[in-house]
Amino acid sequence: MIENKYIWFFILLGCVITGCRKPYTPPAIVAPGSYLVVEGVINSGADSTIITLSKTVNLSQNPSSALVSGAQVHVEAEGGASYPLAEFNTGRYVAVSLNLDNSKKYRLHIKAIGNEYVSDYVAVKPTPPIDSIGYKITSKGLQINSNTHDPSNNTRYYRWAYEETWRFHSQFNSGLIVRDGKIVYRNNDEMIYYCYAGDRSSNIVLASSAKLRQDVISDNPIILIPPTSEKLEIRYSILLKQYALTKEEYAFWENMRKNTEQLGSIFDPQPSEINGNIHNVTNPAEPVIGYVSVTNVQTKRIFISNSVFPYEWRPEYNGSCQIDSAFFTNLHTGSNDVENRIIEGTLIPISTISPDGFHIIGYTASSVECTDCRVRGRIEAPVFWK
Amino acid sequence: MKKIYFLSFCFLILLKVGYSQQTTVQTISVNFQQATIEQFVTELEAKTGYHFYYEPAKFDSLKITVQLDNKSMETVLDAAFKNTAFHYAISTNHEVFLTKGREIQLSLAAGFFGIKTGAETQKNNVVTQVKEFADTKDKVVPEATTENKLYEIGTKTNTIGAGNATLSGYVRDGKSGEAVVGASIYVTNTKTGVASDQFGYFTLSLPKGRQILSVRGLGMRDTRRQIVLYSDGKMIIEMKEQVTSLKEVKISAEKVANVRNVQLGVNRLDIKSIKQVPTVFGEADVLRVVLTLPGVQSVGEATTGFNVRGGSADQNLILMNDATIYNPSHFFGFFSSFNPDIVKDIELYKSSIPEKFGGRLSSVLDVTNREGNKKKFTGSAGIGLITSRLNVEGPIFKDRTSFSFGGRTTYSDWLLKLLPEAYKHSQASFYDLNLDISHQIDDKNNIYVSTYLSKDKFKLNSDTSYGYSNRNANIKWKHNFNDKLFSVIGAGIDRYQYNIASFDNPVNAYKLNFDINQTNFKADFTYYLNRKNTVNFGLSSIFYKLHPGNYQPNNPKSLVAPDVIPTQRALESALYVGDKYDFTEDFSVSGGVRYSLYSFLGPQTVYNYAPNLPKTSSNLLDSTNYSSGKFIKTYSGPEIRLSGRYQLGDNTSLKGGYNTLRQYIHLLSNTTAIAPTDVWQLSDPNIKPQYGDQVSLGIYRNLKSNTIETSVEVYYKRLRDYLDYRSGANLVLNHHIENDVLATQGKAYGIEFLIKKTTGKANGWISYTYSRTFLRQTDPNEGELINSGLYYPANFDKPHDFNFIGNYRFSHRFSISLNVTYSTGRPITLPVAKYEYGGSERVYYSDRNQYRIPDYFRSDFSMNIEGNHKVHQLTHNSFTIGVYNLTGRQNAYSTYFTEQSGVISGYKLSIFAKPIPFINYNIRF
Repeated sequence: MIENKYIWFFILLGCVITGCRKPYTPPAIVAPGSYLVVEGVINSGADSTIITLSKTVNLSQNPSSALVSGAQVHVEAEGGASYPLAEFNTGRYVAVSLNLDNSKKYRLHIKAIGNEYVSDYVAVKPTPPIDSIGYKITSKGLQINSNTHDPSNNTRYYRWAYEETWRFHSQFNSGLIVRDGKIVYRNNDEMIYYCYAGDRSSNIVLASSAKLRQDVISDNPIILIPPTSEKLEIRYSILLKQYALTKEEYAFWENMRKNTEQLGSIFDPQPSEINGNIHNVTNPAEPVIGYVSVTNVQTKRIFISNSVFPYEWRPEYNGSCQIDSAFFTNLHTGSNDVENRIIEGTLIPISTISPDGFHIIGYTASSVECTDCRVRGRIEAPVFWK
Repeated sequence: MKKIYFLSFCFLILLKVGYSQQTTVQTISVNFQQATIEQFVTELEAKTGYHFYYEPAKFDSLKITVQLDNKSMETVLDAAFKNTAFHYAISTNHEVFLTKGREIQLSLAAGFFGIKTGAETQKNNVVTQVKEFADTKDKVVPEATTENKLYEIGTKTNTIGAGNATLSGYVRDGKSGEAVVGASIYVTNTKTGVASDQFGYFTLSLPKGRQILSVRGLGMRDTRRQIVLYSDGKMIIEMKEQVTSLKEVKISAEKVANVRNVQLGVNRLDIKSIKQVPTVFGEADVLRVVLTLPGVQSVGEATTGFNVRGGSADQNLILMNDATIYNPSHFFGFFSSFNPDIVKDIELYKSSIPEKFGGRLSSVLDVTNREGNKKKFTGSAGIGLITSRLNVEGPIFKDRTSFSFGGRTTYSDWLLKLLPEAYKHSQASFYDLNLDISHQIDDKNNIYVSTYLSKDKFKLNSDTSYGYSNRNANIKWKHNFNDKLFSVIGAGIDRYQYNIASFDNPVNAYKLNFDINQTNFKADFTYYLNRKNTVNFGLSSIFYKLHPGNYQPNNPKSLVAPDVIPTQRALESALYVGDKYDFTEDFSVSGGVRYSLYSFLGPQTVYNYAPNLPKTSSNLLDSTNYSSGKFIKTYSGPEIRLSGRYQLGDNTSLKGGYNTLRQYIHLLSNTTAIAPTDVWQLSDPNIKPQYGDQVSLGIYRNLKSNTIETSVEVYYKRLRDYLDYRSGANLVLNHHIENDVLATQGKAYGIEFLIKKTTGKANGWISYTYSRTFLRQTDPNEGELINSGLYYPANFDKPHDFNFIGNYRFSHRFSISLNVTYSTGRPITLPVAKYEYGGSERVYYSDRNQYRIPDYFRSDFSMNIEGNHKVHQLTHNSFTIGVYNLTGRQNAYSTYFTEQSGVISGYKLSIFAKPIPFINYNIRF
């Protein structure tokens, strides 16, 4: 009875505080049009400026974006120079090392799909360097934080994006390989136990020091990695990119974050759209999504090894991973499992089965997903890995 | 009582003395065996033409045995009263006065009262003399406790004069001595009636003579009083509580308030009906029950606010014993601020808002607390899953002064600790305290003191803690100048405050405080001019002092820059006068004007914007500094309150009304539900007051001997300068709030049906409302046009709304209640397209509120089990057991789209998505 009661309380309060989330499929909505989406930062420094052009699609449609190719894209300085961008991939336009004049204002000029688009002229807003990337080990996992400051107190609004890389291993270490119809020991270059994997940030990370006396960002949370994540299995690295924002651009990102990342609570604000700073000159009524700013991007990378994590932190493996035993003569059916399931089949041999340490009567084996780390990563270490 | 009779004898004598002294001797034969006085008198009157005057009660022990032939009246009476304490006197007019113990001398000197002879003049003189003679000051106001007795009001005269007299009085609960508020006193003969005021007083003008008063009060048994009205006078009516355990509920033909009242769009509920409605945690909840009334809606479960006839949640004036409650909820909106053990009844004005109320556009919710028991100490306590409460009341000085104290608290923290790690560090708690004192100085003066304190604290698994608090105190002095003029003069302070604090990161640690203070003064007068006119007039004044935000570092290491939004001050005053006038018995009109005057006061810095351009930072011209006490901007105007009733037969009436209202204080909230941490803002030169008017029409009909009340009301309402927000508006700590708000226009219309059965084993109500509410923003000078300037549905626009509340009593000790609610889903803004941005899928939102969440349906069930009903026992116990959301329907509260690992998906959030059982244990002592 008491047990039961607790269950009720649990359900009740769980719902009260976090609400009960259920997937929701909105009615079939067909957008009145398809709008241009412009994403990218005009890099005022030595790095490349990459602009991606796409169009919005209906909610039910896949893939979720339609890239726009064949556009003419230029970065224009107010009252002067124009720098063309070249399409290097479908919908992706690049200009290398613009090295812009920080005292001037710049805009993006796009001709695409029969329309002409321009962004507002914006001043170059330099990004101060990242002071440090910190981390905290909490009961909820590894919390990565960033620190920065601007001694001139001018930056105030910040955005971060990141690229993660981590070394991990497959669940079982296969020392054997099938070569020419035979099971032999793997060479060192054939090992498939250790791999590297990576990911890019998909959430919007923002912070502002507008309410502080000094332009200081201290321990701003970037990402929380749960203790059971494979990312923390061996060694983890994060490349943090820091962008300075104008107040308006901050509002644009903040609104996008609210619209698409809020967690559903009782007091959530209602969604609404904020227009970016890009306009359709041909058809001014048509909305254009995106905000173009001019800044240099600051980056920093750190590495964290598993030795700093608590001993109990263990990745949660795919529960379906099991070690099979394959014998030359199956005790029940008498069939040759080694031949059928490993050499001809899909199982990867792991080690030999030899009760007397001399005669091999079979092999342990498991599926590709459980033994080959290449399913989720690459063997080769990235160039920056050290 | 004796005195009255004695006096009446005197009057009779006076009236008769002057008549001619002519005597004729008449003889009679009688034969009485053990006859009662009635038989005796009747026979003698029939035989002789003499008229007998006597008090039957005094003669009820008398049995007369007389047998005589052809004797004079004197002889017969001598024989009859021989050896008894009874006496007789015979006037020259063949009038016989029978008395007990005392003999009447009819031989008064002719000039005893200085009266000349002559019938006509004498009569007039007598009446004036009587007033002197009968010193009403010493007279005890009759306490009319029973139905069958005939009460005499005023100074008795033997002939009842023509015209009207004023009856004033007081209606109280016979058991606790507490005033019965809103009891209807209805005069059957003239079809007129009044309701007792908030202190139980009433005044009624009615024709002299014999009248029957039907008295009906909430939670009280219907009763009637028979009176003979001689002149202006007073009476106290004692009513009995309606005890549910009575097997038979008396069905009376006097439930006419629904039809008779001049007001329309008014719902009154007593705590008993409120307590029958099942609620989520089993504790009776005033606001939940208000939501079941026609024309009242909310944006969803667990919301602080309610929306009345298309008004936003901040357009409701919520009063508890005349104190303004800014945040009427606890615990994320799951509990209301009103302790059910303290509340006596509630009244919701949706359409006809009396002229004494003002300052909000949509409605007035008037919550009245019980007065403490003036006769003995009593109390009650309740234990629920999440809250407990205690109420004690009793006399301080018996029959004069009483107190009522109520407290409520939660112990939910231990429950939160049972949650998984992710929520374990959440905290939520609240408490509230009520202390009311009422004191009767004398029968003309009463003092009432009312105080309230509530506090909420919560922390949702983050390092940020929230707290908010209501604090109210007021004092009222009720004075009766005379039978016709009453006044209530009151003063009070109301405060609402919240604070947000963050601790964990020392660099960013901050605290944010907000508070609103109002000091108010009210003087309200009611004057019963005559039978046809009841005049109400008065004035009220509120001084606001609002601290819109004070942001401070919370740690010596904190780099937070202090940010203080300057204090706002304003004075809102109103003068009003209203008259209820009965043109005929069938046609009454109540009309009033409230002149409202609002001034935004210095010291303040006001920003000036270029005229006819959007109020944005780019159009900011300069600022003006105003010194302390300076009237920076004054808004004023009359408000009209008009309603009328036309009676179509005994059971049906037609009512109409027109109202205009102004509102000077605005709640800034761009969340769907009102958050406890939303900011209030006073009207200033850049933010105009809201203005609204409403026209409504209703037909009311009572069926089945008035046990079933039905009504249909239609309304059309307009709103002006209602605040909406620019996209991405920042409402907290905004020094230029006018940059982020937009003035919109609104329109709302609807039709409301209500069928209510008030008595019987099965009782309850069914309501259905069809209503729409639209907003639009058309002025391009305001900048951004929402939805291209077209009308869009408001957040709480739910066209179909159906409610059923039913109670069935199986026995004295067992009853069940069922509550069923259905409404159209509220409007939401849905995405129309998606795209890739910032490493993830994103969605592009459509025009505002163009889609709806799925329809809402919920049913709740509860059982009330009472302990035994022995009157003399230490405590009376009862249990409430029930299930909230019986069908477990997962009603969507909101929908949202969120990205996870770069893919966006839609979710709906449901609150109370499972059947939730509850149990509550209550004791009374």
